Amino acid sequence: MSALKFQHQAQRTRNAEEERARRGSPVDSQAESRVESRVESHVESHAESRIGSPAGSRGASRGQMRLSTRHTRMRRARTTVWLILFLAGGIGLAYNALVRPNGMAQVYVERGEKVYVEAVVAPPLGAPSGEKAATKWLPSDDAALIDGRAVANSAQPSIKFTETRGIAPRIARERRTAGDTNVTLSIVDTLGVWIAAFFTLAIFSFLWRDNPVYKFAESVLVGVSAAYWMTLGYWSTLVPNLFAKLAPEAIKSWSMPAMIIDPSEQTTQFILALVPLILGFMLLMRLSPKGGWISVWPLAFIIGTTAGLKFVAFIEGDLMAQASNTIAPLVALKEGQLQVGDSIGNVVLLFGVLSVLTYFFFSIEHKGRLGTMVGKVSRVGIWYLMITFGAAFGLTVMGRITLLSQRLEFLFGDWLWIIDPANIR
Amino acid sequence: MRKMLEQPNLITRSMIAAGLLSLFAVHGDCFGQATATAPAAVSAFIATDKPGDDGRAILLHWEQSEATAQVLLSRSLGDDERSALVRDQRIAAATKAIAAGATQADAVKAADEAERVFANDTELQWTFIGIAASAEGAEGFEVSDLPRAEKGFRFRAQSTRDGVRGVAAETTEPVEAVSAAFFAARFPLMIALSLLIAVIGRCVWTAVHGKIPELRKIAALDAFDEAVGRATEMGRSVLFVPGIQDMTDIQTVAGLTVLSRVARTTAEYDATLEVPTTRSLVMTAARETVQAAHFAVHRPESYRADLINYITDEQFGYVAYVAGKMVREKPATCFYMGAFYAESLLFAETGNSIGAIQIGGTAEPSQLPFFVAACDYTLIGEEFFAASAYLSGEPAQLGSIRGQDIGKLIAAGIIIVGTALATIGAFAPEGSAAAAASWLVDVLG
Amino acid sequence: MLKRTVPLFITGIAGAILIVAYFSPATTNWGEVVTDWMNTLAAVAFILGGGNLLFVNLEKISSKRPGWAYALVTLLAFVLTLAFGVLKIGAVPNAQFPATPWAGDYESVRAPFGWVYEYVLSPLTATMFAMLAFYVASAAFRAFRAKNIEAILLLGTAFVILLGRTAAAAILTGWIPVDGPFAFLRLDTLAVNIMQYVSTAGTRAIMMGIALGIAATSLRLILGIDRSYLVSD
Repeated sequence: MSALKFQHQAQRTRNAEEERARRGSPVDSQAESRVESRVESHVESHAESRIGSPAGSRGASRGQMRLSTRHTRMRRARTTVWLILFLAGGIGLAYNALVRPNGMAQVYVERGEKVYVEAVVAPPLGAPSGEKAATKWLPSDDAALIDGRAVANSAQPSIKFTETRGIAPRIARERRTAGDTNVTLSIVDTLGVWIAAFFTLAIFSFLWRDNPVYKFAESVLVGVSAAYWMTLGYWSTLVPNLFAKLAPEAIKSWSMPAMIIDPSEQTTQFILALVPLILGFMLLMRLSPKGGWISVWPLAFIIGTTAGLKFVAFIEGDLMAQASNTIAPLVALKEGQLQVGDSIGNVVLLFGVLSVLTYFFFSIEHKGRLGTMVGKVSRVGIWYLMITFGAAFGLTVMGRITLLSQRLEFLFGDWLWIIDPANIR
Repeated sequence: MRKMLEQPNLITRSMIAAGLLSLFAVHGDCFGQATATAPAAVSAFIATDKPGDDGRAILLHWEQSEATAQVLLSRSLGDDERSALVRDQRIAAATKAIAAGATQADAVKAADEAERVFANDTELQWTFIGIAASAEGAEGFEVSDLPRAEKGFRFRAQSTRDGVRGVAAETTEPVEAVSAAFFAARFPLMIALSLLIAVIGRCVWTAVHGKIPELRKIAALDAFDEAVGRATEMGRSVLFVPGIQDMTDIQTVAGLTVLSRVARTTAEYDATLEVPTTRSLVMTAARETVQAAHFAVHRPESYRADLINYITDEQFGYVAYVAGKMVREKPATCFYMGAFYAESLLFAETGNSIGAIQIGGTAEPSQLPFFVAACDYTLIGEEFFAASAYLSGEPAQLGSIRGQDIGKLIAAGIIIVGTALATIGAFAPEGSAAAAASWLVDVLG
Repeated sequence: MLKRTVPLFITGIAGAILIVAYFSPATTNWGEVVTDWMNTLAAVAFILGGGNLLFVNLEKISSKRPGWAYALVTLLAFVLTLAFGVLKIGAVPNAQFPATPWAGDYESVRAPFGWVYEYVLSPLTATMFAMLAFYVASAAFRAFRAKNIEAILLLGTAFVILLGRTAAAAILTGWIPVDGPFAFLRLDTLAVNIMQYVSTAGTRAIMMGIALGIAATSLRLILGIDRSYLVSD
């Protein structure tokens, strides 16, 4: 019993039922299973802090004992899962290495050299007379160059580069046997599959416990993902939405050749782009030792706009729309006949909406005659909420299992080549 | 009032229209005349600007007494539409000629001919809008999403029955769609917002002037202080996760207002508060908020910016980091306040495994089940938004909660009245109750 | 004044303008314009976030704090990926504009940045996501031990929905006649009814509550009643 501070909580005279209800959490058991053995000294205080829940009234030693057995059991279950995964992987590797002639985790690519030439392309035949010819880069074997609709610009040197595309291993083997030298084993991609498999297993290892391999994977994930989103922010937000509006011509020739510049919009766009530029500059003033205070201004602007936009959006899209959807006849009639099932359903629905709304009613204490009644209705509201949550829970489980099976498919398919449903390897 | 959206692909539409019209024509020639007579032409065909919109809709009215007839509606082409259509027709004609073995010069001639035919064929100057029932003319047929750049349009209505078309009626003067100063359709929303602002404002006013509402307890909020206290006693940190969305999500903003209260308590108790964030802006705002909290309890010296860090924008990268941190540093208390998606359960279960007290709060309905199942306390939806006001204890903020409640009462009242009207209306579909119920549903959106 | 009054003023004015702007055709797109600004601002703020990430990890490495090697890993991963992406190193040339190297495709799996996405980032995030299968199971297992009515309702519903949407429904309750009086006890029917009536009611009320909560929160911010993000003068 380390924390006297929390004892008073357990002693508070409260309606335990109501309390649990308000908490909105089916929680009794959590106090037990939550606590890891290493923090056992705090178990009791923790349990008692759980305000009137049965766990709080249990004997400390008993609770503690149950906790540690539960914990051990859960950890054992996780260890087993991990062990099975590990063993399956190991057996698969051994099997592939020893038995299968085709091996595993190979990625093949087909390479081909492409030559691009700059050409003057005439307008399509029949186009109105005013239309001008366009200068475009075309593959040297483009039909337009052959039939004369486009004429290569001889002053401009052509550009060559190698195009690479992935190819199914089975086909790759056949073509290589037939002597096709363009098809090769891609070392970088094959290495990539091994790296992906390593990281997949590294993350799964967290199920067993925190370990250096997971820490390594986590560090890589943080670094790579932060850089990934920053890169995307740079190329798909800053460049087109800020730089391209401030200096359209320069950006067009630098990195956005396909951009269409509308001269009539240019000034407006420029002025509109200045706003985030200035706000951004103010935000960055945080880095200067003295100008930090001005960085609050853009934050205030963001908070204000978010408040304004969401206020309108949610009242229109959620409050009014949901109220509108709920207005329906309580009795369901079909060709003059009462539909009992549907009618009951409609009543259940209406009562549900009203009782859950009652649960969210804050400014009536659940005391006194009115308060007690409100308390009772809101308790029914909680039941509705729990069923709603349960339904969402049930719906999600399937999706999560699918995700896991996809990862296993990667490990056993793409990496180990044990399964091959599409017969491509 | 029926609404017909005009899709941008004019060519496809014109082709469908031409096909449809020719189908009607063929039917008329082969069988129609023997079996059916042409319906009477529509009369009093007028086009007017739709009031109270953004200037892209026109209302068409007509009279057609023959209920069995339908009305084919078309409008004149805009200048840009016409030149695009001419270009396509020219190219199509030239390509066709080349394919048939013509020389280039002949192909150009074919294109010129196609343009001449187009210019002379009055039928091609119209674009098909839709088919309406004859009765729709009385209430008005809405043509929306008209091209903005065009100045005005003429419209044509032609009655048809069993493939036999009557005489077409045309509007004479081009009608321009005019933009209104205010959206008429958003008037009910304006009323709703004004009402809410008035109600909440009024409640704030009364609370500030001494009438502070009595509020029911929210267990999760009662647990805030003890949760932070527990961390202090155990000498461990408090972890605050402000969701994974940016400041453009109001949940993040609400999460930060809760952070402000948590930070005050941690500052008072001298507990360590760590706030890893998934957005740079949120990091900045969180630093501002926590610093403000330290100032508010007169402990500015204990504020540490280095405990509030940006991790990564990637939700699973972020959760990998935070979960690892939780397992290693074992914070005694974890707060999850903001917008959460799939990662919610990864947080809550990891927190569970290290025995932390966990308080979750979110308005993502899909994630509430996981917080409810795995956290000790959960602020469900609206409770989450009321949290910072509750915790502040300031009369003005508490008053706003009362305002929220009155909003709920009004909403519940409208639902009850509407349901009653709709139920009565179910027995008398033609009666005024049914009409009132459907009006209410319309107004609410 | 500059730290508190001006920001309060900015929040209030910005919020109020956007509320009013929604109602006029001439200004209704202001919301979109401002949202664009926010996105740009978030991208500018990457300088702060990225700078912080660099600073934290460099500090860890230079002071040889425990786990500094992991900080080095993070730093290397960050700097390399950022260089691959922002500098478009090894980007696949754009077939339409091969003469414009900066128009190249850096997200292709043939470019280093795309390769990192395909073989490092994507498996890492997908596996984190897939871990949820285990966590959902353990959360259900824990809640299963709760003995109050709320927990029973939550888990009971979860099971009914889960079974009702799988073949198990037919095996367990397929024998109940579809048109009999007990048809509603068939798991598939029960699942549909729960979704259609009870769950819909719950979701609607939650959404309405949230909308009102957001309204009150927004007003508190716009009116300057809640100023928790501001340092007091």
